[in-house]
Amino acid sequence: MASDEIKATLCFLDKTKLIKQGAEARVYRGTFLGKPTIIKERFPKRYRHPTLDEKLTHRRTTQEVRSILRCRKAGISAPVVYFVDYTTHCIFLEDLVSAITVRDHIRSIQESKQTIECLHMLADKMGEVLAKMHDEDVIHGDLTTSNMLLREGDGAGDTDPVLIDFGLSYISGLPEDKGVDLYVLEKAFLSTHPNTEALFDRLLKSYMASSKKSPAVIKKLDEVRLRGRKRSMVG
Amino acid sequence: MHLTQQLELFPDHFVTQLLFKDVKNAAELKKKAMEGQISGALINASMVLDPFQLLVATNKAIHLQKTGKMKTRSLYSEIIFNLSPTNNISEAFKRFGISDHDNAVHIVLVHTKEEDHNIDSILSKVEGQQIPISQMSMLSDTAKIRKLYKVTSQEEKCGSLLDSVICRMAIKDVL
Ligand SMILES: Nc1ncnc2c1ncn2[C@@H]1O[C@H](COP(=O)(O)OP(=O)(O)OP(=O)(O)O)[C@@H](O)[C@H]1O
Ligand SMILES: [Mg+2]
Repeated sequence: MASDEIKATLCFLDKTKLIKQGAEARVYRGTFLGKPTIIKERFPKRYRHPTLDEKLTHRRTTQEVRSILRCRKAGISAPVVYFVDYTTHCIFLEDLVSAITVRDHIRSIQESKQTIECLHMLADKMGEVLAKMHDEDVIHGDLTTSNMLLREGDGAGDTDPVLIDFGLSYISGLPEDKGVDLYVLEKAFLSTHPNTEALFDRLLKSYMASSKKSPAVIKKLDEVRLRGRKRSMVG
Repeated sequence: MHLTQQLELFPDHFVTQLLFKDVKNAAELKKKAMEGQISGALINASMVLDPFQLLVATNKAIHLQKTGKMKTRSLYSEIIFNLSPTNNISEAFKRFGISDHDNAVHIVLVHTKEEDHNIDSILSKVEGQQIPISQMSMLSDTAKIRKLYKVTSQEEKCGSLLDSVICRMAIKDVL
């Protein structure tokens, strides 16, 4: 019975389009219940013990959908979850069809030699959204500019960026966890987008202005940065 | 009038939705469904917003049936249970199943491509006026839905009421 079901989902995935093959997951695009849908499939990792692998994969899947709901309840944009198949570890999500990643947006602005000021509104919005998310005690766990989407035609920042990829997320109220979350983003941001220190600074200022709990978080961010620097001096 | 759609995950399965208003015999229909004389999910039409909501509930019910993980005794009761934001079964039937005095009824049938004769049998049993599925939103009680699913205004800023409902239905088993 169970194997039939697995076949059903895999047969369906055969008819969809693979858009990203990652280390942990494959992302497909197709039609589900008549709607454009993103399907994120977490596949087994052969090098891990099967039982442990199953447990970790299941946890990632549940964390991802729980955090999406928690964010949406707080008014933070994240894709609608349509269906979760816990036997094949597939999440069926609303496809933001013409959305682009924040990463691609920043790249295209930089490449087109437009002034960085075009991105100020976006940095402000990103800071606000992340502050709101941390105020809900959601730690994203994998903040990058690829894990934030902009709805079509929203370069100007009219709507909030949409957060995705919550597989490593968890719930914590600790300033340290939030500080590390921001540190991960800072690292990813500055290495993906050269010469954006001022822009990232603006994002942090907006974060600070948006969250009452930010002073403790920023203090931790500074500590983590210092630790990171010491480590790289030693290493 | 009715709407029939094929399920992408289960291509042998078709879902037909029918909508009735001014129904006079809800109590009798409910009794027949419980005795197995009607095979279909009889749903309180004021609690549903859009055909997509029923498709999501039905797809999940078939998936759970095939994986042996249903929480209720039949596919049709599972569809009703899946509409609810909580895991309380009797509460789900009370809110989403039809009650004796309901006059608007939404019916969901699951069948194969060939085997759609059940539709005529349903039409002969309901004493009420069939209306197009496209009119279903006129029968929804959005205030009651907001309250039952606990949807706040801040959530509706980042999506529709339907989005909020769908998310809760999809995620409730891991809350
Ligand atoms: N809901 C969505 N709508 C539109 N595009 C999406 C959506 N979800 C994901 N994508 C696209 O697919 C890409 C990968 O998705 P996602 O980040 O969830 O998986 P992943 O990167 O493989 O996971 P990981 O980062 O853990 O490897 C995104 O960068 C985005 O371009
Ligand atoms: Mg990603």
